[in-house]
Amino acid sequence: MTDYGHDLLFGTFITPTAQPVHQAAELAVVSDRAGLDLATFQDHPYLPRFHDTWTLLSYAAARTERIHLSGNVLNLPLRPPAVLARAAASLDLLSGGRIELGIGAGGFWDAIEAMGSRRLSPGESVAALAEGIEIIRQIWAADQAGPVKVEGDYYRVSGAKRGPAPAHDIKIWVGAYKPRMLRLIGRAADGVLPSLGYLANGADDLTAINQHIDEGAQAAGRDPRAVRRLLNISGEFAPAGRAFLQGPAEQWAEDLAGLTLEYGVSAFILAADDPATIERFAAEVAPATRELVAAERG
Amino acid sequence: MNYGHPLTFGALVASPAGTPVEAVELARRAEELGYDLVTVEDRPDEPGLLDAWTVLGWVAGRTERVRLAPAALAVPLRDPAVLARAAASLDLLSDGRLELVLGRGGEQDAIEAMGGRRTGTDRAVAALDEAIDIVRGVLDAGEPRPLRHLGEHYRIPQAQRGPLPAHRIPIRLDGDQAPVLRLAGRKADGWSATLTAFRPAEYAAANKIIDEAALEAGREPAEIRRLLHVTAEHTVPELLALALEDGVSTFVVRADDIATLDRFAREVMPALREAVARELPAAPTAVFRPASVRAKRRPGIDYDNVPPSLAGQAVEPGDLDYARVRSTYLRGGAPGLVLRARSTAEVVDALAFVRAHPGLPFSVRSAGHGISGRSTNDGGLVLSVAAMNTIEVLDEQRRLIRVGPGARWSEVADVLRPYGWALSSGDYGGVGVGGLATAGGVGWLARKHGLTIDHLRAVEMVLADGSVVRAAEDENPELFWAVRGAGANFGVVTSFDFEVDEVGEVGWAQFVVGADDPADLLVRWGAAIEAAPRDLSGQLIMGRPRPGQPGVAQLMAMVDNDDPQTIIDQLTPVAGAGPLYQQNVVLAPYAAVLARAADGYHRAEGEPVSRSGLIEHLTPEFAAAAAELIASGAIHWFQIRTVGGAVADVPAGATAYGYRSANFSVVVMGPSRRRLDPLWDALAVHFDGLYLSFESDQRPERLADAFPPRTLERLRELKRRYDPQHLFADNFPIRTTLETR
Ligand SMILES: Cc1cc2nc3c(=O)[nH]c(=O)nc-3n(C[C@H](O)[C@H](O)[C@H](O)COP(=O)(O)OP(=O)(O)OC[C@H]3O[C@@H](n4cnc5c(N)ncnc54)[C@H](O)[C@@H]3O)c2cc1C
Repeated sequence: MTDYGHDLLFGTFITPTAQPVHQAAELAVVSDRAGLDLATFQDHPYLPRFHDTWTLLSYAAARTERIHLSGNVLNLPLRPPAVLARAAASLDLLSGGRIELGIGAGGFWDAIEAMGSRRLSPGESVAALAEGIEIIRQIWAADQAGPVKVEGDYYRVSGAKRGPAPAHDIKIWVGAYKPRMLRLIGRAADGVLPSLGYLANGADDLTAINQHIDEGAQAAGRDPRAVRRLLNISGEFAPAGRAFLQGPAEQWAEDLAGLTLEYGVSAFILAADDPATIERFAAEVAPATRELVAAERG
Repeated sequence: MNYGHPLTFGALVASPAGTPVEAVELARRAEELGYDLVTVEDRPDEPGLLDAWTVLGWVAGRTERVRLAPAALAVPLRDPAVLARAAASLDLLSDGRLELVLGRGGEQDAIEAMGGRRTGTDRAVAALDEAIDIVRGVLDAGEPRPLRHLGEHYRIPQAQRGPLPAHRIPIRLDGDQAPVLRLAGRKADGWSATLTAFRPAEYAAANKIIDEAALEAGREPAEIRRLLHVTAEHTVPELLALALEDGVSTFVVRADDIATLDRFAREVMPALREAVARELPAAPTAVFRPASVRAKRRPGIDYDNVPPSLAGQAVEPGDLDYARVRSTYLRGGAPGLVLRARSTAEVVDALAFVRAHPGLPFSVRSAGHGISGRSTNDGGLVLSVAAMNTIEVLDEQRRLIRVGPGARWSEVADVLRPYGWALSSGDYGGVGVGGLATAGGVGWLARKHGLTIDHLRAVEMVLADGSVVRAAEDENPELFWAVRGAGANFGVVTSFDFEVDEVGEVGWAQFVVGADDPADLLVRWGAAIEAAPRDLSGQLIMGRPRPGQPGVAQLMAMVDNDDPQTIIDQLTPVAGAGPLYQQNVVLAPYAAVLARAADGYHRAEGEPVSRSGLIEHLTPEFAAAAAELIASGAIHWFQIRTVGGAVADVPAGATAYGYRSANFSVVVMGPSRRRLDPLWDALAVHFDGLYLSFESDQRPERLADAFPPRTLERLRELKRRYDPQHLFADNFPIRTTLETR
């Protein structure tokens, strides 16, 4: 049992479809009005059927009021870190502190390569991400003296002025599954953001994920609680319970509270592209889950 | 020198990171004040400013009308292919308001400091040149092959193209040095510069470099629009001279505060507009197409004489919108010109243009779902009435509605739903009114309420000679008879009046049943349908058998009754036609069943291969032959819809729709015409005719299958009267003389 004690966040994982043009932004508005904490979009800059995620985030942020927004997760190889850091800080400033930075080291290397970027091995991509995070944090640290200086193997940002400083402490959440990347998260990131559907053994795999992160954190002298455990989930509401996240809202709440208490998951991001499901998740599942977790935590 | 572009104004709004609301406040104010364009500075070396692209996305979400542009996006710090997709997104999200201004990104030191590559000035322009190609290439979503760009600065092995932006995003180049100017002349849609960077006469010299480069590249200098950044201190006479003598058509004022914006809008804009209007003839409003677009024109089309009413909406092969209109749901096309009419008068104009082009293929299109695919062509003209899509209630007492041909059936259902009405159309909400309601309309309520055409009370149509007529029982009755089943041969229907039915919630059922013995299933399902009350209409679908997997069929049915027990009672025998694997039955509005229609434009490639047959009973003999056909692998789609019932109540000769006694309408689709046709032809003995809406075989004898001899004879006579020149010949043309083999 590992519960890191974070407050719970509930959000949506919205397909950034370019057709119908405004669907994704409208679903972010629905998520906002429904009272959810987060609206997120995946990022596949090589796929023309999707909107450019950064542009969509900027537009959706302008259309929403309270909700936080994030890529889920932004593709670092196609989004150079120094420019991304300034863009993120800018959007955070414009939105009054509602932007979080979900990023990933890149997964679909064939497609990334086809767009003209260099293919990296898994080890290389961990190192590149580490450099990327370092650059992003240095750009944001506007109050520190001297220019940004990261002379990495993958990125060289040297002499750039720092800033702008974001409006709030933007969290860096990394989509990851493998030990090296997870240890990096423990060392340098603020959250891990895997998809439940990609875990070979389902939620059981979260134990190992947590361990790697915790080790990474401890080795770097950080408190493992500095790293939030987020999770992309999918499910279906049904009148009678059939399986995990397939049943009535009360059952969802139990399933999710279990993930919090058992594996320390503290953010549930639901893949949903219809308003009714989003509203139900916000109105019925989120409060019930919070209640169950609060009762258990005492 | 003036290039004949209308005068527009822009505001370069400040975007200081310290007061982030400022940029959007300035942009909104600029929109209110009537500025045409808002630009945002991109200064990668300056953390005191917000990231320009992010600001533009944000401003797009908070404005409605004003166009948006980065003030020279620093290309060396952006991946051009990603930038192109971002541009398409911003253009789509903002409803077509984006303009791109690209630049080299200022000081090389700053670019390098941010992680960009140092290239040296000359090579920076070469890189910009490549970047333009990449951006344009990615945005050219109508081009089927992936983008391959193997340049010196960028190497893109094969990027997918798209998304398709909302409009052709103009690409301007920013700069004042000769290499940039020459590149602008050669490639760009515009040039952007800052007045204070020039000494007197230098600006004119720069223009000249651009013009010469344009001419050398075979372009008109007017293809490059001139945008100039000025300050609020510049006077009207100064700016007027620039407009008249130097061809500046967009003045962008640098506005760090609302007072500056206001002052320029009040003191300069109206005075300058007036002065320019006095000095210059009105800028031509005609659509301007650059040489690169004109190069893609097809022979035999008088592009320069498209009727003025249609010219603004017309689409030719080089246009951005071409990707959206070239193909249909099932067939790839490459028409030479698509005329998009918005009114009956424009249909009349379009037909005059078509008559002036005898010998060119000509197609009529409503929503482009024609299964024969004839609503597109290769090198010819297409008249699209998709924009004529209004739906109105004419008479609530009589449940009379008027619908434009471009409306889709899901939209019709949505409008009727609040009245508690429905009109049986087809099974798919994306299908258009124009094609279906001129041919038949076999829908989810067919057995109870008949064909769609059986609800038709009147049409307005434009005939081949351009006359506009109404056809109804009491007016042009012969034409009204012909339109109901063979409408495509007689004119372009511009509106349909239907009397619709009262339909409440309906039972909607989807079953999956075992089909290891398809013949047995067909016979049992057919018998159950024929025995079912008319409330029930439905269909059966089978696909290509998959080796090693049990055969299955999908059964769907709608029961026009809102009593759950009645629904179950009526469905039970139908679902019992085979072993039941899955079932889903809900009570739903008719409109909800039609709602499952895809968005976006048609992207079909190749030719559809679909065959149709109408049949009275699913006899064991037919079932055995059909099972063999399915097993042959020559088809991937086998579908039977129910007809009969109310469809058969209408006397056979009452409309041009052919064979009403059939209880079933069979459709098959396969990949190869060569393979399917002989197999299907061999099944002919089982059929009583066919339904044209599901047929793609162009052999003339199909007409004799679609229409009984007396009907066909009468149609020929009417064709002689209404369309003797065979203007309407795209879709199963009726010849005025007898078909010869
Ligand atoms: C997925 C799918 C499901 C279908 N299901 C059914 C069904 O259940 N029942 C059924 O009956 N049909 C069905 N159809 C067939 C459909 O009725 C026809 O394809 C119909 O022609 C489509 O109309 P459209 O306006 O979308 O087509 P278009 O491609 O725009 O037009 C098809 C043809 O109709 C003619 N035409 C179009 N507009 C006009 C006009 N304004 N005036 C005169 N002639 C015109 C032209 O000859 C044109 O080539 C289905 C088709 C598809 C693609």
